[in-house]
Amino acid sequence: MSESVSPSPKGRGFSFSIRSPRDFWGGLVLVAVAILAIWASRDLPGQRGFAFGPGTAPRLFAGLLVVLGTLVALVGLVTDGPRIEKYKIRGPVLVIAAILGFAAMIRPVGLVIASYVTFMVAILGSREMRVLESIIAAAVMTAFCVFLFTYLLNLPFQLWPRF
Amino acid sequence: MSDLLANLALGFGVAAQPYNILFCLLGALVGTLVGVLPGIGTVATIAMLLPITFGLPPVGALIMLAGIYYGAQYGGSTTSILVNIPGEATSVVTALDGHQMARQGRAGAALSIAAIGSFFAGCVATVLVAALGAPLTGLALLFGPAEYFSLMVLGLIFAVVLAKGSVLKAVAVIVLGLLLSMVGSDLETGAGRMTFDLAELADGIGFANIAMGVFGFAEIIRNLELPEESRDVLHAKVSGLMPTRKDLIDSSGAIARGTIVGSLLGILPGGGAVIASFAAYTFEKKMSKTPQRFGNGAIEGVAAPESANNAAAQTSFIPLLTLGIPPNAVMALMVGAMTIHGIVPGPQVMTKQPELFWGMIASMWLGNLMLVIINLPLVGVWVTLLRVPYRLLYPSIIVFCCIGVYSINNSPFDVTIAAIFGVIGYWLLKHDFEPAPMLLGFVLGPLMEENLRRAMLIARGDWTVFFTRPISGVLLGIAIFLLIVAAMPKMRRRRDEVFVE
Repeated sequence: MSESVSPSPKGRGFSFSIRSPRDFWGGLVLVAVAILAIWASRDLPGQRGFAFGPGTAPRLFAGLLVVLGTLVALVGLVTDGPRIEKYKIRGPVLVIAAILGFAAMIRPVGLVIASYVTFMVAILGSREMRVLESIIAAAVMTAFCVFLFTYLLNLPFQLWPRF
Repeated sequence: MSDLLANLALGFGVAAQPYNILFCLLGALVGTLVGVLPGIGTVATIAMLLPITFGLPPVGALIMLAGIYYGAQYGGSTTSILVNIPGEATSVVTALDGHQMARQGRAGAALSIAAIGSFFAGCVATVLVAALGAPLTGLALLFGPAEYFSLMVLGLIFAVVLAKGSVLKAVAVIVLGLLLSMVGSDLETGAGRMTFDLAELADGIGFANIAMGVFGFAEIIRNLELPEESRDVLHAKVSGLMPTRKDLIDSSGAIARGTIVGSLLGILPGGGAVIASFAAYTFEKKMSKTPQRFGNGAIEGVAAPESANNAAAQTSFIPLLTLGIPPNAVMALMVGAMTIHGIVPGPQVMTKQPELFWGMIASMWLGNLMLVIINLPLVGVWVTLLRVPYRLLYPSIIVFCCIGVYSINNSPFDVTIAAIFGVIGYWLLKHDFEPAPMLLGFVLGPLMEENLRRAMLIARGDWTVFFTRPISGVLLGIAIFLLIVAAMPKMRRRRDEVFVE
């Protein structure tokens, strides 16, 4: 989406290019979020007499966010700003995958395996990963967490898979 | 006066119980441990360590959190002095002269002056908090819903004006935070709002999940993108920890002035601590007969901002404890922690739970003392920690955070929410939106909505009530004035300059 936006030509002359893509797209996304919120609270009863209903405040603030998001986008249209940095794939995807993986694993397989796998997936997010070092570090970290959370803090975690 | 002493005595009685001292020590220790890791600021540290305090009794938990807070702050200073990577805005200024001192082989003196300055500032500010707490609580009695609402608006605007970056974008992010806080059951009717029919969202979005996602996970993803800079870690041994007599004399004035500046600015709602350290540094440079030494390893340039930022950190508890309004993201985290323990921050805490209120104030002083005691001998340990490569550090942080989030409610869904907010936080950073105002909006959201609803009901639907009630009108007037001033081009440039320097 951002690739189609040309870099801002130092504000010279009259042009329709988006001068600050970060602000412009940022503002638009906020507007989209606000509209989603308005849609999600469409069934909630609104103001009755002097009393707010459950839907009043969400719609009020979502409306405000529409206005503010539009303003941010407009400002992005007319003032110069930096381009959007390229989104990287490897780091974000693997880190998020590791976290989601933890969420999926913790119940069925227990703390030990979930921690170990999460560490190993997360560490793939960096280009500087070294295999042997990672395997050892993951084991150390898993042991540390088990010790801290289950023995020291006494939290009721299930450590191993239950069959 | 005797009241003050009696209250402080009560507080110290609570804080000095062996268990509480232990919690405080433990908090300061882990706070420093995490805060010292490069790239992790105070807010991220507290967000990460929140879950481990949940199992404790309320007083112990808050005392430990206060310890974590001071530890994290001191850890941030250590990183900026030793490696020139300020973990957060408050220690940016410390890095200027502190790192120069470290390069000249005087890291020990810089670190100990930072600790001593912080301790002195902490002592003064503790007394100040205790002295101002009671009268300000009285002020809270004059406040009705309309006033509370306006005060919160003012607080949010302050936070925006004093932060760096675009005012408009910060306001937009605050409103996003307010909106997020409305997900879940309605306070009065119990109707599910914006839950997308997910049962897990009925109780709303967990505060710790957002904090962990936006400050923990998003920061990590962000850091992974940055090119691995050749970190300027000191390989020389840090020796000569104790400052010389000359160092102490040189910095004593700076410490005193920094304390005053910090205490005053900390009370203001908004980013008190950040502004305080900048202001104290600039002030010290102006006062100095030899301003050219600043930036080249002047010990005053470490002493002043460190004292100011610690004093401000302490006095920023005043608006939280007396009015129940968190003035910055760190205090917002504190509110989150209090709510989880069933304590509603505000004036009633002081009267209903005096041992909690005064115990916490006393533990602030204890926390500062702990820092001096544990950090001076442990500097060597922190330096070793700085040498752990980031490629091993960040997966450990992720595992730790995942377990932490999960442990709050034993809910895998919470971990998923945190992951989603990691992505959102990453997106915000990419588009130059500051995540801290969002968190502040999120925490203040329920309070604001409740007071707005009540005020409107009492005023029979008349919107002008916010301007016609005198206190409320003045508060809103100040807020509008601040917004206009901050939006003016000339002021905007000056603000940018302040943050560039």
